[in-house]
Amino acid sequence: MILLSQLLRYELIDRSGRRAVPVDFTIDLGADHPPVTGLLWRRAREATRFLPWEAVDSLDRDRQRFVVADLSGDDTPVEESTDRRVLLRRDVLDALVIDLSARRAMRANDLMLEAEGGALRLAAVDASAWAVLRRLSRGVVGHDADEPSDWSYVEFLRGDPQAPTCGVDYNRRITRLPPGEIARLMEALPYLEAAELVTLLPDALAADTLEVMSPQRQLQVFEELDETVAIRLVALMAPDAVADLVGHLRAEMAERYLGLLPPECRERVVDLLRYPEDTVGGIMTNDVVVVPPSATIGQAVDIIRGQVATPDLVYYVYVVEDLASRELRGMITLRTLLLAEVDQRVADVMDPYLVTLHPLTPAREAAQRVVDSQLFALPVVGADGRLLGAVTVDAAVLQVAPESWRKDVPRVFA
Amino acid sequence: MTTTHPTGMEPVAPATQPPRPPELRRISPGIRINIRGRSVRLRGLRRTPSGPLRWLAILGPGIIAGSAGNDAGGIATYSQAGAKFGYDMLWVIVLITLSLAVVQEMSARLGAATGRGLLDLIRERFGIGWSLFAVGIVLVANGVLIVGEFIGIGAAVELLGISRYVVIPGAAVVLWYLVVKGSYARVEKVFLLMALGFLAYPVSAILAHPQWGAVARGAVVPTIHFSSAYILLFVGLLGTTITPYQQIFQQSAVVDKGVARRHYGEERIDTYVGMVLSDLMSAFMIIATAATLHVVGKTNIGSAADAAQALEPVAGRFAAALFAVGLLGASLLAGAVLPLATAFSVSEVFGFPKGVNLDFRRGKFFLSLFTVFVILGAVLAMIPGLPVIQALVWIQVLNGILLPVILVFILLLVNDRRLMGDLRNTRLYNVLGWGTLTLVSVAITIMISTQLLGAVGVHVLGG
Repeated sequence: MILLSQLLRYELIDRSGRRAVPVDFTIDLGADHPPVTGLLWRRAREATRFLPWEAVDSLDRDRQRFVVADLSGDDTPVEESTDRRVLLRRDVLDALVIDLSARRAMRANDLMLEAEGGALRLAAVDASAWAVLRRLSRGVVGHDADEPSDWSYVEFLRGDPQAPTCGVDYNRRITRLPPGEIARLMEALPYLEAAELVTLLPDALAADTLEVMSPQRQLQVFEELDETVAIRLVALMAPDAVADLVGHLRAEMAERYLGLLPPECRERVVDLLRYPEDTVGGIMTNDVVVVPPSATIGQAVDIIRGQVATPDLVYYVYVVEDLASRELRGMITLRTLLLAEVDQRVADVMDPYLVTLHPLTPAREAAQRVVDSQLFALPVVGADGRLLGAVTVDAAVLQVAPESWRKDVPRVFA
Repeated sequence: MTTTHPTGMEPVAPATQPPRPPELRRISPGIRINIRGRSVRLRGLRRTPSGPLRWLAILGPGIIAGSAGNDAGGIATYSQAGAKFGYDMLWVIVLITLSLAVVQEMSARLGAATGRGLLDLIRERFGIGWSLFAVGIVLVANGVLIVGEFIGIGAAVELLGISRYVVIPGAAVVLWYLVVKGSYARVEKVFLLMALGFLAYPVSAILAHPQWGAVARGAVVPTIHFSSAYILLFVGLLGTTITPYQQIFQQSAVVDKGVARRHYGEERIDTYVGMVLSDLMSAFMIIATAATLHVVGKTNIGSAADAAQALEPVAGRFAAALFAVGLLGASLLAGAVLPLATAFSVSEVFGFPKGVNLDFRRGKFFLSLFTVFVILGAVLAMIPGLPVIQALVWIQVLNGILLPVILVFILLLVNDRRLMGDLRNTRLYNVLGWGTLTLVSVAITIMISTQLLGAVGVHVLGG
């Protein structure tokens, strides 16, 4: 293992004895242990130039130098500060990177590289305080890292939300974490990095992650997303989550995004947005599973099978007169449905005694009723008897929980 | 279906009317928007506040960062300036307001453009060496300020007749406990309310019937006294009004508020309003002290009791009590926030876990740093026979001396094209920013050289 801080003190020497110093290294981040693809070098008071790794003959660790073919410096200089490539010293060293095994953000205090064959690969990150001491003392003080973080479990972000759509390489191991865990990690990142992370996730995971983020973070990240990406993700989110998000956008933005949504998704979201956010209508979901009372249990199972793919609430199946009027008749749980005889009618096994909520009841009051009812959800019914949706216990708990529980991270600067 | 069921429990039947809420509150008219040619009224959309409300919604970090300048050290420095030179230093406040607004705006812009804190950015852009240097500067600047806050606490309670040797350790323990146990946010409002006692300064300034003509002249015409006391106070005024801590705080607060680059434009108003209000307050402190103390020939403030006399026009014999309450509130507020913010931004540099919700095992570094700051601040503030006002002024002078370092970092970062994109500094801002840096550096150079010459017995300037 060689440390980047050591490599930067190495020397370059070519076959005819010309000397120079390495300034930085370019890297191809696509692999688990990404290979160094070239180095930037400079001779005293000259412009910085690029040398592809193929031109490096050998790495002489005893004499601390790179032996290279030719340092005549005839090629065009590179502008180090504006170079678009990922550079080890400029970009990765000292950056905040995500450690997937410890599931936290950490500082890359030093980088550990491995020379094998002719290649030099980025192997691990040293995030310990020793690395800081070692760098400051130029290797005199400090010992090797006790537990360096293997680079294959490190995700490096550039702070550019558009980067993942431009064919830039990432580790992408983070996509194996559950959405809640990704959202938690994201709270520790600056907002541009968080938006970049959402962009590099597969759509379904990105949509789930967006759903569970804190509202402020969600809005911040959403506004940084590319418009086509944003629309794609929103179409995959639950309608109540989309309504909460769109409800926080400025009116012009909301109008624009609603117009771009797929029609079916748009209908559901617009229906929810008709109600103020502090009423039952503002916290309910309108993605519920329904069956007609006249159906037999066998038919009902077929009917709901086509509906249960997307809703969060599938355990309660609401019985409505017909799909056009959606007049609520009762409710049947998935358990009852599975235990009933196939030729029984839904109307005979359903529970016709329901506590219902009015969409304009204040949200907190209704939420308390949902929590008190010990049920998973209460249906919301309009003045005309029409089933509008349901308030789930999840949504209700968020309303009645004390402020301090809702944000588990206390704000220092509040 | 009978009447035996309670309301809302009837079997749902075609004729059943669902229970309506007993009384509907007035429901917002909502916003009418046009989606694909269809007009819908949506009550779930947030209405963008208009008129005065719109401005109120934007205000926040700037106001707090601005008022952070009016802490114990600020009051001491402004009082001393007013007592010693009357209205002659008002023009400095006017000049500083412009500089302060420019500097704070750049900090806020850095925060919005990157979503990162200042020390964090220094670490990523300039590497470990420079970032440790910056951390050192911040530790010293904030460390002495924390001492200043505890001195303020001590001075306030002595005015009320309580021994500072009892209250300072007590305050340190209570502040430490409140912050570590996470219940600080609840008592913060009490401190804020107490600090509002200083709103008595503008009232006092008006009731003291200053000669407004002289005030106006002092604010517009630069009057320079060639004395070392003047140049010392000049640097002190710079140091207390434009504090490194304020820039770091402003940037973190903007990040914490979640201001994104595309909404940054209107946030500028917040910064400008905050800075103007804060400096208006500073100016009133100078005017009140000048109109009550300077005019009667009392030109040196030696203790908090002297400074409190500036509130006599409004509070009469309760001036000392009012001053003490205000000072105590302001000092307690800053006494908790300063160590916290310092520990926060330093932990960020090293990538250590940070936040008040950590236990000692996980947040070892963060909580140790916080604890050390509180203990150090309290212990140093209890040095027997400490000349309160002089100590506070010197703390501000030291902050003034360290300010240029932080300013250089801010100016370099805010001009970084890769970092800032289209929010990069314009030429006007660069002129004003580097101008401020030059002004501060020249003032410090003059001050240090006069002090050094004075120390070896050469007096270039008068007393």
